[in-house]
Amino acid sequence: MPTFLLGPQRFLTTAGTVVRSVAPEGPVATVTAGWQDRETADEELHEVMDGRSRNLQLYRRLTEVIETDDHFAREALAHRDAMDELAGIYSVRLQRALESAYVVARRPTREDIAESAFADAIRGVRDIDAWYLRSVDQLYGELQAAAPPEASEPIARNRAEVAELLRDATVLAIAGGHVGILLRCLRLFEAVPREVPVVAWSAGAMAMTDRVVLYNDNGPQGVRGAEVWDRGAARVHDVVAMPHARRRLKLDDPVHAKAFVRRFAPAACLLLDDGTQVEISADGRVPDDARVLTETGAREGAA
Amino acid sequence: MPVGPVAMTRAATKLAINRLLDRKPLDDAAIDRFIERHGAPIIEGSRATFLWRGHADEVSVRHRVVGLPDPLRLRRVKDADLWYVSTEIPEGSRIEYQFEVTHDGHTESFLNDPLNPKLAHGPFGASSVCAAAGYHVPDWTLHDPEARPGEIVERTITSKALRRQVSFHVYLPARFRRVVRYPLLVVHDGLDYLTYASAKTVLDNLIHRNEVAEMVVAFVPPVGDRLVEYANNAPHARFIARELVPELTAELPLVDSPVGRTLMGSSFGGVASVSTAARYPDVFGSLLLESPSLVFTDIGQDHGGGPVFDPVVRFVNRYRARPRRIADRIYLTCGVYEPLITPNRSMETVFRQAGMEVRYVEARDGHNWENWRDRLRDGLAWLHPGDQKFVYE
Repeated sequence: MPTFLLGPQRFLTTAGTVVRSVAPEGPVATVTAGWQDRETADEELHEVMDGRSRNLQLYRRLTEVIETDDHFAREALAHRDAMDELAGIYSVRLQRALESAYVVARRPTREDIAESAFADAIRGVRDIDAWYLRSVDQLYGELQAAAPPEASEPIARNRAEVAELLRDATVLAIAGGHVGILLRCLRLFEAVPREVPVVAWSAGAMAMTDRVVLYNDNGPQGVRGAEVWDRGAARVHDVVAMPHARRRLKLDDPVHAKAFVRRFAPAACLLLDDGTQVEISADGRVPDDARVLTETGAREGAA
Repeated sequence: MPVGPVAMTRAATKLAINRLLDRKPLDDAAIDRFIERHGAPIIEGSRATFLWRGHADEVSVRHRVVGLPDPLRLRRVKDADLWYVSTEIPEGSRIEYQFEVTHDGHTESFLNDPLNPKLAHGPFGASSVCAAAGYHVPDWTLHDPEARPGEIVERTITSKALRRQVSFHVYLPARFRRVVRYPLLVVHDGLDYLTYASAKTVLDNLIHRNEVAEMVVAFVPPVGDRLVEYANNAPHARFIARELVPELTAELPLVDSPVGRTLMGSSFGGVASVSTAARYPDVFGSLLLESPSLVFTDIGQDHGGGPVFDPVVRFVNRYRARPRRIADRIYLTCGVYEPLITPNRSMETVFRQAGMEVRYVEARDGHNWENWRDRLRDGLAWLHPGDQKFVYE
């Protein structure tokens, strides 16, 4: 089933056109859980979907589960605390490793030594990313053991309701917002079936990849290194989905761009700016003509 | 006399007050027009010209800016009732000042600038504000109708350590829910932070913008003699660490570990934060210190701060002799125009070498509440970042 990744939809709405091309008729299942408590303020989206949208209301379902299943809620909170602690320690390790890579890259040194030192520094960063994801897997394993979702009546009931809505849907449209909340909802309610075409934008596009990477150079702390956050729905492989890259990243720094691309290679760093739409091939890969970030900071097609 | 471009450049760079002085005749009407046009103080590049109008024998600007002469005496314009002085104020600076005026042998002090509407408020009254080129009041310190307001709740706790009831305020973020666990920020001089540093507005705005995590904040005032209670005082530390934090943790949905707890304070409140963390190093994961009065001596006891600083100096000297880890992270900030800049520059290294992660930020400002307000975004966002990096609309 095809997957389309789109850029932000706020100023240039292409989602409706793409959804129509994929499924001219029939119900469109929508996910706006990333909007959190504004989840149901989806009138505009409903219009863009030609009045065919059926919001899965995953955020409302998540809230209901947390409020009605005390055991799951307790374990989920403990899991979130642990994730926060892990992310904190990961960030400390990561910032130092990245800083080292940047310093190495900027230092005038004999070319072969410089290249070897930079490659080694990036290996160090990749090792930290890999350690972090292993730790994330471990924490999910602990949560699964402590509070298996299948043992929870509210989760099972909501999963069944979501599955029914998805069975009727001709396409699944996933909006942006808070990618962490969105992922949590998609995972808990198993809301990304393989047999339904998906059109996803911004945070929704990030959630479709196998590794979600966060970045924001415009926060109060200025330029910070990108951080791996979680595994995604893995509908798309070897892709770092990068909505708002132009607005959120200082891509004009060649050292940062080079480190970014090397760090996530062989994944393609897919630039999803306003108006971008990319159809992912059947094997889950990015097409050759997609605009990706390269080591020189260029933004041309990968071919 | 030069003519052409050179003369024009000189005229353009000449300070407004000097252009006025060149004017002949310089009558009251010309001075009126000058003041109406320029206001006061007049900011031109990195120069500020202070003005005072009235009959006087002597007029001075009083301030607490290290490096500038204090008092900064004004000169009188010949045959007029206008006084002036120009001084260097680097870009981005913000200084608070008042006038001191002597007339017929009588001196009046603490006079705010009648020509300048900008005032800063503090527990000891208001002061005039000189905002240099490049300084702007941060927009996140001003009311934003889009930002959902949190709630301030009054609470009381019975403290055995302090042997009295302590009333304080708790900030609950907008959309506060009991199914979520929040970080806890405990603020010394809590009422002052709310009143003079716009703390509630700042929290509402920064949380709304996803720059700072949703958090619960306890604004705690001193209950007795502040300068005693905050100067490495064992009962105060016991109250904060063993009474206040456990009670709040039992009653509110808080992250129950040091990583979720921050202790904050400015000036003596900064000393109280450091000394409480030193006595109870396993309670707070982070400290947010604004111009902490961490005065010390390297030899002898002549610290120049008077008797109220004696216990502070003893505490800081002891800590410097054996620095140790008292938190995971410290956000330390100080104004470069305050005398405390020297000890704080030194303490940054001491904290860092004790194995703590330190972010140290200097501001072109002084020992005042608006400086501490202006640093809150940087400090809170570093210690408890919001979800900005998660949101891709």
